[in-house]
Amino acid sequence: MATYAEMAEMYEDIKSDFRFDHELNGCLNCGICTATCPSAQFYDYSPREIVQLLWTENVEQIYDAMQEKIWACAQCMTCAARCPFKNSPGGLVSIMREVAIKHGMQSAKDVLRPFGRVMLKLITTGNQLSADMIQPDHFPDWGPNIQKVEGDLKVLRKAIPVKTLQTTETAWEVSLKTSVEMYTIWEMTGVMKQLETMDENLFDVIVDFIEEKREDYEDWLEEHADEKNDD
Amino acid sequence: MSDAVLVVGAGPTGLAAAHGVASIGRRVVLVEKESVLGGAPILSRYAKLVPSGEWAKDAIGRMVKRVEDAKLVEIHKGTKVTKLDGERGNFTATLANGKTVQAGAVILGTGFTHFDAINKPEWGFGTYPDVVTTTQVEQMVGAGKIACPSDGRTPERVCILLCVGSRDRQIGREWCSKICCTVSTNLAMEIKELSPSTDVFIYYMDIRTFGLYEDKFYWKSQEEFRTKFVKARIAEVTVAPDGKRLLVKGEDTLVKRPIMIAFDLVVHAIGMDPNEENPEIAKVFGVGLEQHGFLERGEHYTSTFASTRPGVYVGGAALAPEDIDTCISHGLAMAMRAVGDLNALAPKAA
Repeated sequence: MATYAEMAEMYEDIKSDFRFDHELNGCLNCGICTATCPSAQFYDYSPREIVQLLWTENVEQIYDAMQEKIWACAQCMTCAARCPFKNSPGGLVSIMREVAIKHGMQSAKDVLRPFGRVMLKLITTGNQLSADMIQPDHFPDWGPNIQKVEGDLKVLRKAIPVKTLQTTETAWEVSLKTSVEMYTIWEMTGVMKQLETMDENLFDVIVDFIEEKREDYEDWLEEHADEKNDD
Repeated sequence: MSDAVLVVGAGPTGLAAAHGVASIGRRVVLVEKESVLGGAPILSRYAKLVPSGEWAKDAIGRMVKRVEDAKLVEIHKGTKVTKLDGERGNFTATLANGKTVQAGAVILGTGFTHFDAINKPEWGFGTYPDVVTTTQVEQMVGAGKIACPSDGRTPERVCILLCVGSRDRQIGREWCSKICCTVSTNLAMEIKELSPSTDVFIYYMDIRTFGLYEDKFYWKSQEEFRTKFVKARIAEVTVAPDGKRLLVKGEDTLVKRPIMIAFDLVVHAIGMDPNEENPEIAKVFGVGLEQHGFLERGEHYTSTFASTRPGVYVGGAALAPEDIDTCISHGLAMAMRAVGDLNALAPKAA
């Protein structure tokens, strides 16, 4: 349990986000956001409650909502499309989530843990999912017909006449240069810092991998330096 | 100098202004674009007016007759002003029918346009026949029967959605239309009078039955007519599995529960838009528009009901959403303004 000062600091972080005033204009308490919210149908989550807590600066209840409720939002933004005041409750949730991560809240760690594998795949291949990761047995919502065509799909993918850079190990090949640029973006925008706060072990693995990739890229640059001079 | 006053628009504002000017001995030229006088209450066939409870056709009808009978009022119906030249004390207006009118002052009572509920498609107007507007219910009350347009059945449950086309930044209507809360409570009582077995629910964000309308409408509709008020803005109106009734989805914000309720008839309490012809009116009369698109008001404290052009006055629902009683007061006040200013311009007797 956080102290009041810690909770107040988190609220300040939310309020001082550059998006905050854009996402929150006030509140008429009409409830159209909650009425239209798919998550509110299934979870103890109400976008109107989030807006009201932030607007009334209820730091204890804001902290309480960050323990669980804000993670129920699916970020569909229907609330923002409906709000007669043009607030964006979903946008506010997005800010609150980032602050929860920054402060290393347990709720954020719990929610994000299953995504560690996705993160690792993303960093190492540049793809979230690749064809060989997709097992139709694990996706019942695709329906029974996927089983019938699945075998042929691999052949069909390879048969696409134009060059698509597709492989079955990755959805497509990402160039070394693009990967390195991506790592720089993640570092500069604070993604790596967030990762460190959320999962130190995963962070270490990924940092090692990034360093390797950067070295590869340096080598590649050196190898090709002569070619460039020849031009 | 011309001593006549040109009054544009023959709704409650223009009728009050025309009669006011004539009653103090000035000549009036009244121009109305429609072929009948009376404005929205007559053209849209309103039922009983707030707060008098008189039928619109009787109450506004008397205003029309009073103006038609006034010897000093010359009436041009079915035509518009297409050009206004000159200046205070000496205007020349050209009408669409080719005539010209000399006037020393101009009073604009050009009114408003009902919000077109088709602009909020998620609430079902234009999709489901049993979603109607308050104007349509006014007409049902006038005809003496409340019925679902789809099959003519008497509705067991009716809901009225407030703020349709008002207080909504999503569609650029950032104003409160002022009258709809009271009109809706009035309609709820009229529905119950005509069909005692019908239950009426009103979905609201705030209830603004201002001044004396609090007990005469808001309280009375509950105490005597059992109207139910739910604080919720509706997310969407869809059709129920029976294919007949309408489903209304919202959050009861006071008990913090999602609600999904079936109704036979859904009524949109439509707001007041700026007159859809305001851009043209602003151009023809050389007056400004304010940020929402209503006509712009000049300095009010010592130049009451001034527009942005000297000698042209503006009042009623042309300025902002307004109730009929206030429009009538504006009309009479503009008559005072116009005649007073003309008197000040008149050459002093030696």
